[in-house]
Amino acid sequence: MFRVILQRELHEALKGYTFKSVIVLLTLLVPLSAYIQAVHYRRLVEDYASRQNIHRVESRNEIVVLTRPVPSLLPFFNGVYENRPNEFRLQRDSALVLPSSEDLAPLEWLFPKVDLSFIIGVLLTLMSILIAYDKIAGEKARGTLKFVLSFPLSRRSVLLAKLTGTTLQLLVPLIYAVFLYTIVLIFFSYKEMTTLTVSWAELGALVLTALIVLMVFALLNMAISTTVKQSSTVMVACTPVWTAVVLLWPSLGLYAASSLRPIAVQEATQHQITLKEAELIQAELADHKEVAAGLQTQKAGVEVAWERYIELRRRWMGRRNDEVKQLTDERRRQINGRQQLARSIVRLSPYGALKDILGSLCNTGPDSYEDFLDAVELYYQQEFLPASMAHLARHKPGLNNTNQNDELQLRPFQVPSPSLGARLKQAALSLCLLLGQIFGLLAVCLFRFDHYDVR
Amino acid sequence: MPDISNDHLQTYSAKGLDNKLNLTFIWLVARKEILTNFRNFRIPFALVTLTSLLLGLAHLMSLDYRYRLSNWEVNQTAPRDAIVGGVVDYNLIDGKFSYSAGVGYSPPVQRPRPFSVFIKGIDGEMNRSGIINQRINFMARQDELVISLLFDTPDTSFVIKLFVSLIALMFSLDAMTREKEAGTLRLALAEPIRRREFLPGKWLGISASLLLTLGPAYLCEILYLQFKHNLFNDQASFARALFIFFLCILYGLVFVNVGFFISILVTRTHKAIIAGLLAWATIVLVLPNAAVLATQVLFPTLTYDQFDAHSYKIRQDLREAEPATTSAVKPSIGLPGAKTTLVRLLEAERQITDEYLMGKINQLRRARLFASVSPAGALVFGISDLANTGVNDFEEYLELFRSGQLSMTDALKRRLDLSPQAGKKLVQEVIKDVNNRQRADKTPITSYLSASLPMASLAVWAAFFGLAAAWRFKQYDAR
Repeated sequence: MFRVILQRELHEALKGYTFKSVIVLLTLLVPLSAYIQAVHYRRLVEDYASRQNIHRVESRNEIVVLTRPVPSLLPFFNGVYENRPNEFRLQRDSALVLPSSEDLAPLEWLFPKVDLSFIIGVLLTLMSILIAYDKIAGEKARGTLKFVLSFPLSRRSVLLAKLTGTTLQLLVPLIYAVFLYTIVLIFFSYKEMTTLTVSWAELGALVLTALIVLMVFALLNMAISTTVKQSSTVMVACTPVWTAVVLLWPSLGLYAASSLRPIAVQEATQHQITLKEAELIQAELADHKEVAAGLQTQKAGVEVAWERYIELRRRWMGRRNDEVKQLTDERRRQINGRQQLARSIVRLSPYGALKDILGSLCNTGPDSYEDFLDAVELYYQQEFLPASMAHLARHKPGLNNTNQNDELQLRPFQVPSPSLGARLKQAALSLCLLLGQIFGLLAVCLFRFDHYDVR
Repeated sequence: MPDISNDHLQTYSAKGLDNKLNLTFIWLVARKEILTNFRNFRIPFALVTLTSLLLGLAHLMSLDYRYRLSNWEVNQTAPRDAIVGGVVDYNLIDGKFSYSAGVGYSPPVQRPRPFSVFIKGIDGEMNRSGIINQRINFMARQDELVISLLFDTPDTSFVIKLFVSLIALMFSLDAMTREKEAGTLRLALAEPIRRREFLPGKWLGISASLLLTLGPAYLCEILYLQFKHNLFNDQASFARALFIFFLCILYGLVFVNVGFFISILVTRTHKAIIAGLLAWATIVLVLPNAAVLATQVLFPTLTYDQFDAHSYKIRQDLREAEPATTSAVKPSIGLPGAKTTLVRLLEAERQITDEYLMGKINQLRRARLFASVSPAGALVFGISDLANTGVNDFEEYLELFRSGQLSMTDALKRRLDLSPQAGKKLVQEVIKDVNNRQRADKTPITSYLSASLPMASLAVWAAFFGLAAAWRFKQYDAR
């Protein structure tokens, strides 16, 4: 009987216009979006390569530019990759790690980029409502539910059959969208050095996450459907919920977090850091002046003076780093606090949770950006600064021991690339929230359906 | 139709079936529709939802505006000295060397537009500071929320785009199907009321329901913003707010007509809702995004990295062409040919910057043109232009950089003919002048003209679906 109900569900779905409309809409939008993303990705990779070439030629011993590599899964979910600086300039004479100039992207303020997260999170969740709304209320209205419940099958099995049918109906457009997107992406992103690498495991994790999100909406539909009698009432109830949860809540959550956790304006912090550095530079210059005057009085030579000079530079650079770092760390802590609050609010929406998970999965989320910033900081402190100061110490002025070919030798900069397991672990909280929503809604469905009075 | 009294019927019979519309009937049908929408709590529900959304989001956006304004104020009051630092010379018996250190202050930020509380548009992008010199460097976006650009900005434009369209559909989608399901449409058409009186009556009722919802909610938001920010302190601002309201109403009417058309087309309410939602998703979510995506494919622009690479290539070419004079990026002016090389470099940098900036402006203009074909795109671009936070203002923002760079290039060229001190003084004066420039607001007339295309697009959409609904209703077989 279970199979009969399941077959009936699938047969009805394939016959319906909604399913066909969904497929037509996806067939139009998915290739267009994937094509744009492929072109965009190709351009980003080419830009990255050209930037690397320029920096290799133009970088000097006192300045090194670190660039964040383009994540290979970026076309699936753009995330915050382009919203924040991806290139930092390390300077021997400054304690500040400065971002390089960035591209202008005004259109993103009006229309955020359409990637797979939009297709799944907005369009397919809406489709899941359109597909699932009629499952129980429709049968109630037509009177066929009484007939189905007269079968020698428990109510839970009937509900499970309907749920399985709905899941399969959602899985078909989902897999179609993801694979069409991937194929178009791979086809158009291929160009000499550009290779889009996506593993089956990553695609599987993506499809599974998307299915969980779609299931939340399908179950929401069914929960309402078990409560009311008319299909139109299910739609009337589900549409505002979908609008609030998918469209309103994430946007609202971000600005609500800003008002709940106010922080100092960026310019104020920047000004504070500049003042601190200016103060330290003045003190350092005064120190140098004093030492220079002392050395002149002692009639010292360059050899001795250079040692004193390097020692002063090291001491003051250490102090400047420590004091400026305190301010920048405090700023980062404030921003992260607000960011975490915003993410906690946004995660409550399945669409927000989907973006959070995709951010971890595709390495384009705030966590991977934080990893990049940490890597830059670490590289500056542990690699660049010691090597740069040592290089400076070797280049005594006016002496013949200066080797012109002595270039600054640094190990290549590497951004950590976590394994799939580690990335999923980062997304565990959002996944748990989604699963919690699924179980909660399933419990409501079971309870309501068990207590449904056929009369 | 219990509301149509015998008097009305007699009046109607006396007049006969002439071509003149009977406004009393139209009003009766409209009144019935409005009362139905009141009785089934749709108007109160929509009014409360829309008012709370507009007020709540206006409050959040006003906090965001204050934050950005405070950021600008701090930026403006901070010293603008180029570098704080100095040089120490080590004069020793067998040689000398020197040490120099310094730090620069933040580059200037543009003042956020007051109407960005209302419609933020591209104002966030225009808050980015930029360093104008031989070339332009655009600094990073404000660092408060990394994930803010992942979702839409929740301003008035967002509420109108998503919620007013849904509310309009809520009023219109079942306007006819409800009557069809209950059988009252057949009854109504059997009365001596003509279809071309019944249809406008229904349409008027739905539109009035939308107006009764949107009007008070919008007024509440305007009053809130007026008391909190004194936003509408002059006639021009007030006129802008009125134009924005007019555009919102036009946008709402598009969806009234779409819903009405669907309602006439199908027989069951739940089918009308499905068709309505699919149409809504296509018109609001898919079409404007697809138009913007298509613009990006058809009219790609230089990215900053490509611009950087071009600039680098120019420098390389000049180095190769005149190796003796340009051994470094900064050539020594004293060497023969160095001045010509430097002038060529400055000109080339200016040209490539112009190309980069013009590319951005042209793409944005084309995106506005393409997106204006869809109602949601027309609304977003139209009201952001009216609020001084749209494409026109972004052009003004880029023009500020372009003219700044032109002044700088000119000063750097003139410096070559002056003594080092006079040249330095000249460049510093120009830097000061460039840094103090703030972009001017576009005149109201320019904003209205820019908004005329979106307005026309919305009017065409509304007229198309209105006529389609009228045509379909004329064909409707009541049996």
